[in-house]
Amino acid sequence: MASAAAWEGPTAAELKTAGAEVIPGGVRVKGWVIQSHKGPILNAASLQRFEDELQTTHLPEMVFGESFLSLQHTQTGIKFHFNALDALKAWKKEALPPVEVPAAAKWKFRSKPSDQVILDYDYTFTTPYCGSDAVVVNSGTPQTSLDGCGTLCWEDTNDRIDIVALSAKEPILFYDEVILYEDELADNGISFLTVRVRVMPTGWFLLLRFWLRVDGVLMRLRDTRLHCLFGNGDGAKPVVLRECCWREATFATLSAKGYPSDSAAYADPNLIAHKLPIVTQKTQKLKNPT
Amino acid sequence: MGASDLDRQIEQLKRCEPLTEAEVKALCLKAMEILIEESNVQRVDAPVTICGDIHGQFYDMKELFKVGGDCPKTNYLFLGDFVDRGFYSVETFLLLLALKVRYPDRITLIRGNHESRQITQVYGFYDECLRKYGSVNVWRYCTDIFDYLSSICFFSLSALIENKIFSVHGGLSPAITTLDQIRVIDRKQEVPHDGAMCDLLWSDPEDTVDGWGLSPRGAGFLFGGNVVSSFNHSNNIDYICRAHQLVMEGYKWMFNSKIVTVWSAPNYCYRCGNIAAILELDENLNKQFRVFEAAPHESRGVPAKRPAPDYFL
Repeated sequence: MASAAAWEGPTAAELKTAGAEVIPGGVRVKGWVIQSHKGPILNAASLQRFEDELQTTHLPEMVFGESFLSLQHTQTGIKFHFNALDALKAWKKEALPPVEVPAAAKWKFRSKPSDQVILDYDYTFTTPYCGSDAVVVNSGTPQTSLDGCGTLCWEDTNDRIDIVALSAKEPILFYDEVILYEDELADNGISFLTVRVRVMPTGWFLLLRFWLRVDGVLMRLRDTRLHCLFGNGDGAKPVVLRECCWREATFATLSAKGYPSDSAAYADPNLIAHKLPIVTQKTQKLKNPT
Repeated sequence: MGASDLDRQIEQLKRCEPLTEAEVKALCLKAMEILIEESNVQRVDAPVTICGDIHGQFYDMKELFKVGGDCPKTNYLFLGDFVDRGFYSVETFLLLLALKVRYPDRITLIRGNHESRQITQVYGFYDECLRKYGSVNVWRYCTDIFDYLSSICFFSLSALIENKIFSVHGGLSPAITTLDQIRVIDRKQEVPHDGAMCDLLWSDPEDTVDGWGLSPRGAGFLFGGNVVSSFNHSNNIDYICRAHQLVMEGYKWMFNSKIVTVWSAPNYCYRCGNIAAILELDENLNKQFRVFEAAPHESRGVPAKRPAPDYFL
């Protein structure tokens, strides 16, 4: 996450050429207002609010409840928002069964207290969340939908996000990484949800990533990539593609393929993503609101 | 190793400068001699200041000492998890160990779940030793104190302050109802990965159960308010003081003030923005929580910078 070289931000010339303007916590460019905010983990009062809203007492140990990334297109009212609360609502709804850690095998032979209650929530906080979208009407009140087709509609497409174009080293007008939540699984691995964004003269690109490693058991990577091409001219409608790619593998299958089986080899999801087989993948295109 | 040598090493470590490999080896051997004599329920006299997880956040531990006072002037009890996660596990652990050897009666160190050969290989201490010394010898000397030949644990498992406050890293165990049952755990025999010793280091209090809960991971106990009440009552203690769980405010009471969590790593992992706390007990066991924030960025010797942009795909 931390990198060696300090970045001073875009130069004035880069901003001017792109017609971009720096605003608090973000940038305004080609009709888009793109902003991020990073806050601390939830305090006791906000934690209570989250627990009430989600109707659960089990939340990740680090919930960055005030942090968000927001991208809004003024003219069309299209708005994308990425935040922990909505992501956790989606976790609660998906409600995957718990994954047993390796120590569970031995644990079964321990003598149990007679009044033992077995908790069965998904402690990995796996979420199908791919962002919250809305159309903000002139009154300023957004109509939100959690996923799927609410106020914004997505249609399946054979188009693909242009990775080659995105590999070009265009000037970066705004860059940030926002952690939405994280859990250490009581030292049985790692689970986190982060969103990264980079804004360039031709468009913006973001990666929402859920990453899970249960040591000795499995790894799960759920990536959502959004790419927006600005288009030419002020009246141009933005073209937004969304690609969801879910990957998953057990340590057992990886080690059968000759890959390492120790957790230390799987610290960085960037380096091992390609070793994890794809479970589902789809690309969708945003239908512009009329 | 004389007191003047040790004093020099302590001063050096306070500047966050690590010791040589030979110095670490000698220090660890000396520490083992002292620690092995301690009881599983180490007696601690008040006044004492109780500290929770540190996790290698050396410069933040210096803030802790600024707020709590220097050892030996202040009597300290650290509840484990000295290493892993932060950038300075080596310096943090060695400073605490050097203070222990120099002032054995003024600082008590008990074991956290990260004081383990297995855990430190995954969560940072092993890699840090390798990076700073170019070999794993220092990691070996240090982890020999945690679990020598994977069976002898030199660190005490818990502490009892003036017979009234029970202190432990994680929490209670269904296998333990009395302090005497902890006293007879053989630190030289017990396998640390399951059983009562493991529970003391790993378990958590849980609001949604009264009795015992099993974690959805299939391993790890959770304990409710009734368990704490009856443990405190049977052992004639006022409350339990533990660490192990991050809390935004630095400390958190549960179950009608029968157990408190103390967390002493501010801005945990350099990104959580949480406050840290220590618990000061005077000679009459009156409590005062002292809270503190992370060390200012400049004092760490690294400049604040925004993340470098990355052409991620």
